[in-house]
Amino acid sequence: MRELLGLFLVLAILVIIPTVDHVFAAADEPGEYIDRRVLIWNLFFRMMVAAFTVGAVVSGTMIWLCWRFRESHPKATPTEYEKSGEFGAPA
Amino acid sequence: MVLELQKPRPVWQIMFSTHHTDVGLLYLIMSIAFLFLGGTLALLIRAELFFPGSQIIADSMTFNRIFTVHGTTLIFLFLLPSASAVGNYFVPIMVRYKDMAYPKLNAIAFWMIPPAGALIWLGFADFTWYATPPYSIISSPGPAADMWIFGLKILGISSVLGAINFVVTILKCKHPDMSIGQVPLLAWAFLSSSLIVIVAIPTFAAALLMLLTDRLGVTGFFNPVMGGDPIAYAHLFWFTFHPEVYVLVIPAIGMMYEIIPRFSRKPIFSKSSGIFAFVLLSVVSFSSWAHHMYATGMSFTEKTVFMLGTLAAVPASGMHVFNFVATMWNGRIKFLTPMMWSIGGIALFFSAGAGGVANAAMPLDFTTHDTYWVVGHFHLFVMGTIAFGTIGFIYYMFPYVTGRMYNETAGKIHFILSFIGTVLVFFTQHVLGLYGMPRRIFDYPEIPEWIVMNQIATVGAMIIGVSMLIFLINLIHSSAKGKPADIHDPFGLGGKYYYPFESKNPHH
Amino acid sequence: MGHHSNWPEWIYVGVIIAIMCWVGAEAWNVERLVEHVPADAETIIVTGQQWFWTFEHEDGTKEVGTLHVEAGKAYKFEVVSTDVNHSFNIHDYVVLMDAIPGRVNTVWFAPDKAGEHDIQCREYCGLIHYNMRGKLVVEDPLT
Ligand code: HEM
Ligand SMILES: [Cu+2]
Ligand SMILES: [Cu+2]
Repeated sequence: MRELLGLFLVLAILVIIPTVDHVFAAADEPGEYIDRRVLIWNLFFRMMVAAFTVGAVVSGTMIWLCWRFRESHPKATPTEYEKSGEFGAPA
Repeated sequence: MVLELQKPRPVWQIMFSTHHTDVGLLYLIMSIAFLFLGGTLALLIRAELFFPGSQIIADSMTFNRIFTVHGTTLIFLFLLPSASAVGNYFVPIMVRYKDMAYPKLNAIAFWMIPPAGALIWLGFADFTWYATPPYSIISSPGPAADMWIFGLKILGISSVLGAINFVVTILKCKHPDMSIGQVPLLAWAFLSSSLIVIVAIPTFAAALLMLLTDRLGVTGFFNPVMGGDPIAYAHLFWFTFHPEVYVLVIPAIGMMYEIIPRFSRKPIFSKSSGIFAFVLLSVVSFSSWAHHMYATGMSFTEKTVFMLGTLAAVPASGMHVFNFVATMWNGRIKFLTPMMWSIGGIALFFSAGAGGVANAAMPLDFTTHDTYWVVGHFHLFVMGTIAFGTIGFIYYMFPYVTGRMYNETAGKIHFILSFIGTVLVFFTQHVLGLYGMPRRIFDYPEIPEWIVMNQIATVGAMIIGVSMLIFLINLIHSSAKGKPADIHDPFGLGGKYYYPFESKNPHH
Repeated sequence: MGHHSNWPEWIYVGVIIAIMCWVGAEAWNVERLVEHVPADAETIIVTGQQWFWTFEHEDGTKEVGTLHVEAGKAYKFEVVSTDVNHSFNIHDYVVLMDAIPGRVNTVWFAPDKAGEHDIQCREYCGLIHYNMRGKLVVEDPLT
């Protein structure tokens, strides 16, 4: 539980501090305009980095699962539910 | 009930039947027919876009009508009825009741669909699947537009009747020995999606009537010339149709909950988290509708609220994925056709969701909104997740419906080709959207990147087309000539199924 | 069921929630920045109608189909429509705003370099929607 709290704390700080920073750093200087292309596409690429990282973990897990737990895998053993046949069908 | 095709009956006996498996069979056959009709239109669209300029479709109006009817058909005449087919077959059995709660109402709900389909197809309207005013009021040609409105009206009523029937069957007719927690996840899926339908559809039903009277010129609800507001329609429409996407996806997830444990030879990892995620999704599905309207000039606050409402739905979807992965973990997985479709569907579910999150992040919507990115996003859902889950389930129920086995090799080829095709078409369309190609266009300027990506997408679509032809032949051939199925364990998994249980407990 | 522990699922859900918070916060922040119209932005009234764009500058000059602006200045578009919904889009500058009859929607941008860019309609508006295209010409400042 400790570690969990710690994890969330770290994540929260990672999110909140840069945001607060940004909010107060945004000034309105005449003649100097923000470039919406830069802001928006940067945001897009940051999100794609996150999406592809998570995607790699998810699909990596799925591919490994399919490979490791296929019934033709040398180490495949009957599951503990096979004797009774209770896969969630009628009780 | 089972073995319809092994013990032939006169067609009219099935048509006038109110028994749930007969109505289910009607739903199934009709939805597959519309899958092929709507799919043909998709191939026409893709063929037209292979090159810039006009290829096979004579003019833009025809093109606009084609994509309108394509979308309407596949959402309302394929996905919804195919889910109803599964629900009709399985829900009464899963709650151990002899039929649906209201069998006649059930048959009526089904028989409303063919006339509605006829109105949509004979009219062939052009105002896109959301019929946005003021275009749909002042510019869209009748009688096609009016026929579409009546068709959708009928479909809406049919959906609500079907939903009421599912809710009553599950809550009131389940076996007295059964607690609500013992109701299987597939039936829970129908309970959740039916509750969404009952809350969501009336809004659109009202909007459709207002649209009709606006078209007749007697009112001006959505017509700015008469003091109305087109944005009001957008709110009413999306209040119904964002939740509706969960009405489509929840049954498909329920079908995966039926297939994944069985073919992994393990019970589901956590049934309670599955139920929790279904209920949570049904509630939060109502918190995000205006994410379709960021570009209509909403205030910063409104946009923020709907972005947060959209992101709130993600954890619940993620819980389902977790459940599937944890169920397969330590299983002994048999890769037969239904399992392959389910796993493919889960894999694409993630990509589709990630694209949705990007749409929902407000500033990114200005790069993606109404481009091919959005087309890619929702097709990864409707095709990659929902149709995949459903098609897998059609293979799964095939032996129970026909008493025969489908051809396994053909089923696998069908899956592999469809998976490749889906990735080719819809991942490419995401990138095409980032390059700025608007959706719903009949022709496009000769931008080299656009041409290449359109061609990749068209090739992918043709691959899907070929795979679906294999599917059709497999279905027809196997239902007449397939090997008789071992009805107690057609997939050789050694477990218990719902159908054999029921066939040992005849109820008629 | 029952005899497995649930903590991996809770961590997993926690991570998803954390990622969503991050997405929301980042998006909120960028949106806030790009929505803030600079005080000295020049107004251009953009009118969408089936199936072309008209532009009216602050000094009253009107252009049809092609819009001329100067690099280094900020412009605020007031997007309106006279018939059905359209969507005004300069994809190269990530400018997108619906043109909806009865409303005035605003969006702004500051072109930085001379050049030509496509303008297109991104909301379905009927027969020639596919070709409701225009040009943005960014010119170097005269001074
Ligand atoms: C559950 C399955 C889903 C389905 C069937 C689905 C379907 C759709 C459809 C059909 C559209 C396009 C509507 C149109 O303009 O014609 C759409 C757009 C959108 N979807 Fe999804 N969606 C699903 C899940 C999600 C999720 C999980 C998210 C976000 C977390 C999401 C976010 C969006 C957003 C923001 C748009 C608007 C994009 C735009 O027009 O700019 N969707 N979706
Ligand atoms: Cu939505
Ligand atoms: Cu348009």
